[in-house]
Amino acid sequence: MERIVKANDREYNEKFQYADNRIHTSKYNILTFLPINLFEQFQRVANAYFLCLLILQLIPEISSLTWFTTIVPLVLVITMTAVKDATDDYFRHKSDNQVNNRQSEVLIDSKLQNEKWMNVKVGDIIKLENNQFVAADLLLLSSSEPHGLCYVETAELDGETNLKVRHALSVTSELGADINRLARFDGPDTKLMQNSGKTKFKRTSIDRLMNTLVLWIFGFLICLGIILAIGNSIWESQIGDQFRTFLFWNEGEKSSVFSGFLTFWSYIIILNTVVPISLYVSVEVIRLGHSYFINWDRKMYYSRKATPAEARTTTLNEELGQIEYIFSDKTGTLTQNIMTFKRCSINGRIYGEVPDDLDQKTEITQEKEPVDFLVKSQADREFQFFDHNLMESIKMGDPKVHEFLRVLALCHTVMSEENSAGELIYQVQSPDEGALVTAARNFGFIFKSRTPETITIEELGTLVTYQLLAFLDFNNTRKRMSVIVRNPEGQIKLYSKGADTILFEKLHPSNEVLLSLTSDHLSEFAGEGLRTLAIAHRDLDDKYFKEWHKMLEDANAATEERDERIAGLYEEIERDLTLLGATAVEDKLQEGVIETVTSLSLANIKIWVLTGDKQETAINIGYACNMLTDDMNDVFVIAGNNAVEVREELRKAKENLSGQNRNVSNGHVVCEKKQQLELDSIVEETVTGDYALIINGHSLAHALESDVKSDLLELACMCKTVVCCRVTPLQKAQVVELVKKYRNAVTLAIGDGANDVSMIKSAHIGVGISGQEGLQAVLASDYSFAQFRYLQRLLLVHGRWSYFRMCKFLCYFFYKNFAFTLVHFWFGFFCGFSAQTVYDQWFITLFNIVYTSLPVLAMGIFDQDVSDQNSMDCPQLYEPGQLNLLFNKRKFFICVLHGIYTSLALFFIPYGAFYNMAGEDGQHIADYQSFAVTMATSLVIVVSVQIALDTSYWTFINHVFIWGSIAIYFSILFTMHSNGIFGIFPNQFPFVGNARHSLTQKCIWLVILLTTVASVLPVVVFRFLKVNLYPTLSDQIRRWQKAQKKARPPSSRRPRTRRSSSRRSGYAFAHQEGYGELITSGKNMRAKNPPPTSGLEKTHYNSTSWIENLCKKTTDTVSSFGQDKTVKL
Amino acid sequence: MEETPQHCLSRLPDNSALKQQELPAHRLYFTARRVLFVFFTTGIFCLCMGIILILSARSTQEIEINYTRICANCAKLRENASNFDKECTCSIPFYLSGKMMGNVYMYYKLYGFYQNLYRYVRSRSNRQLVGKDVKAVEDCAPFKMSDNKTPIVPCGAIANSMFNDTIILSHNINSSVQIKVPMLKSGLTWWTDKYVKFQNPSSKNLADEFRGTTKPPNWPKPIYDLDKKDPRNNGFLNDDFIVWMRAAAFPTFKKLYGRLNRTHHFIEGLPAGNYSFNITYNFPVTRFQGEKSVVLSTLTWCGGNSLFLGLAYTVTGAITWLASFAMMAIHITLKNKQMSFFHQ
Repeated sequence: MERIVKANDREYNEKFQYADNRIHTSKYNILTFLPINLFEQFQRVANAYFLCLLILQLIPEISSLTWFTTIVPLVLVITMTAVKDATDDYFRHKSDNQVNNRQSEVLIDSKLQNEKWMNVKVGDIIKLENNQFVAADLLLLSSSEPHGLCYVETAELDGETNLKVRHALSVTSELGADINRLARFDGPDTKLMQNSGKTKFKRTSIDRLMNTLVLWIFGFLICLGIILAIGNSIWESQIGDQFRTFLFWNEGEKSSVFSGFLTFWSYIIILNTVVPISLYVSVEVIRLGHSYFINWDRKMYYSRKATPAEARTTTLNEELGQIEYIFSDKTGTLTQNIMTFKRCSINGRIYGEVPDDLDQKTEITQEKEPVDFLVKSQADREFQFFDHNLMESIKMGDPKVHEFLRVLALCHTVMSEENSAGELIYQVQSPDEGALVTAARNFGFIFKSRTPETITIEELGTLVTYQLLAFLDFNNTRKRMSVIVRNPEGQIKLYSKGADTILFEKLHPSNEVLLSLTSDHLSEFAGEGLRTLAIAHRDLDDKYFKEWHKMLEDANAATEERDERIAGLYEEIERDLTLLGATAVEDKLQEGVIETVTSLSLANIKIWVLTGDKQETAINIGYACNMLTDDMNDVFVIAGNNAVEVREELRKAKENLSGQNRNVSNGHVVCEKKQQLELDSIVEETVTGDYALIINGHSLAHALESDVKSDLLELACMCKTVVCCRVTPLQKAQVVELVKKYRNAVTLAIGDGANDVSMIKSAHIGVGISGQEGLQAVLASDYSFAQFRYLQRLLLVHGRWSYFRMCKFLCYFFYKNFAFTLVHFWFGFFCGFSAQTVYDQWFITLFNIVYTSLPVLAMGIFDQDVSDQNSMDCPQLYEPGQLNLLFNKRKFFICVLHGIYTSLALFFIPYGAFYNMAGEDGQHIADYQSFAVTMATSLVIVVSVQIALDTSYWTFINHVFIWGSIAIYFSILFTMHSNGIFGIFPNQFPFVGNARHSLTQKCIWLVILLTTVASVLPVVVFRFLKVNLYPTLSDQIRRWQKAQKKARPPSSRRPRTRRSSSRRSGYAFAHQEGYGELITSGKNMRAKNPPPTSGLEKTHYNSTSWIENLCKKTTDTVSSFGQDKTVKL
Repeated sequence: MEETPQHCLSRLPDNSALKQQELPAHRLYFTARRVLFVFFTTGIFCLCMGIILILSARSTQEIEINYTRICANCAKLRENASNFDKECTCSIPFYLSGKMMGNVYMYYKLYGFYQNLYRYVRSRSNRQLVGKDVKAVEDCAPFKMSDNKTPIVPCGAIANSMFNDTIILSHNINSSVQIKVPMLKSGLTWWTDKYVKFQNPSSKNLADEFRGTTKPPNWPKPIYDLDKKDPRNNGFLNDDFIVWMRAAAFPTFKKLYGRLNRTHHFIEGLPAGNYSFNITYNFPVTRFQGEKSVVLSTLTWCGGNSLFLGLAYTVTGAITWLASFAMMAIHITLKNKQMSFFHQ
């Protein structure tokens, strides 16, 4: 779409009717609330259905129940929902207002004016200052930085806190004066809003199942209605005909077919209580309760950031108990995005902290006293190092150690800056480099400042200025970076750092011994999941360098094959290096990630890592958190660049896998869930052994094409671990959709940045990591908490319980209503199919909402089969949820049969007893009203006993509710049958005196007792046999719990797992190419810091070419995130 | 993170047992011992109760005489509605082999009379019957008004179809001496029906109160003439009327017609011997293939002589016992299996 915008010309731009910048997430205002909300509510099938029912009831010919039986619950439900919607919307209004009223400075009428963000128009020129939030897509016109550069933090977008560079167009960059930006897209048109995907109304699989079942029930209801209508027609023609003249005076002309038709509708009204409206309300209430439990859980409260867990959606809880796939972001989710310099190997000697759990080395850690750094005033306070040996070596003046630290201080792209307090601040574009430079700084080699030609560092207290002769920048194929500097003594040195695999090839043969030693060390570091880099240097001959430099200049000036020539020259000089050592930087995992991952895998949940990071980094993290291990049979890496390659690789991997499968006989068998065979659904295969799949973004783009898709999915699902790296937000969502669609599995996506939004939205459940600066992920998420490790508790405890409770609730609820309603059907055969109800109308009105709602709600909210500790300790308990065992169509049929059986017992036992019965005093008791009271009382008692048996966790609330419900039933019964209320409304309460007379008869109580025994005992037998013959895991744990009530269960049986691996990490830098050019050209340095003139040749670069270059490099990473809705400058 | 400690505290969820889902609770678990205990107890209870119920039901005496066929000529007469004013009586002699001890109750029993039809049950006006407003007939369709628009009292289908046979029980001491067995026509109804639900308009002269209304079409006489002798049994307060108005649950039902007045000859109940029912046959049942009979019965603590409840209890008890033995067997086998498994 083409957009024409004239800068700073509001009148012109108004012609195009661009959207304004106001953010609307709220749905209603005061006036529209009632109509819109009601309209929405009646769009829900259930509500509309009950409305129809209400209308049916108002037709006198077919009204078999008075209108209040439907309208009371309906009004109750609609009011409750409306109140909930209103409060939700109120909070949305509040947050909208907050965002909309943020201040910005806009150029209006050629002067800067304060304007609220919501009033910013397309084409406005905005002045931004440092650390301001941005609430629109902007085009950078110019900035106070030289060459129109500005640094953008995109924490709200991708959770990465490193700065990204943006530059103004050269045409506009000369305009000067702070940062001016042009608003391009506003409000709903911003890239973020367009890119974040439509918010879908998420529904749980239980919801969908429930809807199907409700439809089935409607079908069943219609069948019953038809049977009864036919019965009525027959009865009318056989018996009613003769009866009619007798009972109904002069209505002889009515046809029996028409009567049957009316009866059909009457019975539909009566039998509608099979699907009572309170079902939907109760489900909502239970979910709300579960959500509050999540909010209230102290074990998911992160005290460091004062962030409790939050259930932002209250409708998905039980789905948390059915997760099969987790899609996790890496940065900020699995890792903290904090890089710390952990260990190093210098000249064959290891320095640094040792892992705590290796016993033989604990002596060092027991001191636990951080190293006292040389230059305390300049040291970074957060940096800690526990090995004193390194400090001693530095003090002793070991030249190799000094050289090593010098490399760290010199060979990087960090920019330094002093803040207002005079402290040295580093602007890093990759946190790895930051960690290394900071480490060097703390050990006394402080990087102070740089100009395009010089680097100044402080070496153990003395300022040394190096001349920067050449900067051999990083790129993905080189996987290394070098600087060539001349030190004050006049020596020319090449300092290099890079991936060990690459750098080791460039070493001088004399390094062989050191190489093998360092190599061992690197393996050890890699085994701890650290990111490693090799460090090397080379002394250069003056003459040789000059020759080389001349060739480089020529190459730069060349028009053809420039890049290749430069690369060749770089290769040329970076050889015969002397190895100094290696560094190991820890990409700090979030707390408890390993335990969580292990536990979730035990629960048969598959975890896929989807990250924008590089392959090496991603694999590294995979190893660090135990998703990838050396024990795996195979790790497939898919890195093809075109569709053919990708397909070939996938096919090969699959062949490989099935080939190995045939060979491995005694492996661990992973049986996957049974699946209905859809058209493109994947044929299930039993996989032996552990496999992992690693695929990068480019290959993924090809693999997601329709014909390869199934191959990919099949392969991926057979693997234990899947890592997708360098994926765009959209691809993340596509992967989720793929699994969702073809696997029919419940998915969960967890992430912290705006690049995870699409994935969070497309997964069944989206989880956002909260407590960080970025809000988008949290705002889009359904659940949020501060730490990845809380996922374990959320799924294994809250999710499992929610699912368990919801299933129990549904089973009971369907049972209850079938038992309640079907007696009308049986009674139909004895009352001439006349749609006479068995119960009092008031009882029908109140049964579901008063007499039996609270106990089942209490069970649905509080019930626990096993304790939270047990479900954490025994992740296998999670599996019934994944296999959908607790509530499915089969279970539903069992519940329905149970209900039908109960209704039979409820009806026919009293029927038999009443057939020829007289009261103790000879008076009536076989009258309709007494029968109704007996049935109602039996029903209430039977369902109460049933819920008492179903409740496995009896808190005082359950006691209060269950006993209370029975008490309430009797008190309401006696009130409604009292003389007083009859005196006031004789027509509405015709049951006067009934309870008093019926319930004082012994035989009535005998009937109630027998009914209860007959309906409940078979259930107990059934359950007893099931627990004895086919105990589930939870049954066993409960039995065990019972046996060892007093003994505390062992807190955790799983040992802390650390892998020992021989795997090497590559050059795992979150690094962008192009910074070297920025530095050597001096474009990112302030003019007020004039570069000292150097005697040596300057490296000249064509300025447009580097910009193009940079654009090219940055756009493919940046555009993937590039939803600059809220960018911190 | 410049959050004040207070703010931090306020975001920390409460440590209450409810919010942390740690409410003290009893975990319900069905141990085999408990379940079996409950089953055996229930079984014993049901068996005992069943036997007691059967024994007490057998201790009652009941005589039922179906007079639909016996009085066939009367039935035929009544099939034609135009003969409503012709009286037809019918006498049914019977022999009581053993004497009926204690209180004896006389019921009339109807077969195939659907008093539980939806429209039938609703066709009454409680407001009228409570004496508040005798002209309140709104719920009584189709028996609200007569053809000339005067409200019917008592209105509605139930009242219109009231059972109106008269049954007189006579004891034939010998072939010539026949004494009428004294029957009480009071105490046939629930206390609340007689004193709360049904009330006459408060006036000495009932006929005045019911002025401007008409009798139901099937009735031979107006409501205020039901029992002219006893004002407490007249109008809406008539026991037979109240009994009829309490609609039965099933198409076969019996309703109390009278209680034996235990005086003189009948102080111990009904002695054995020859009796006869003298029935004034008014109520037509053959038109809808119904039947009617008259029942004499004594009662015990659990009502009449219905065996159903006793049998049902016995059967339930027996099944429960069987089930508990089966469960015990299964449980013991499994336990042994487990034991041997552990020993291995």
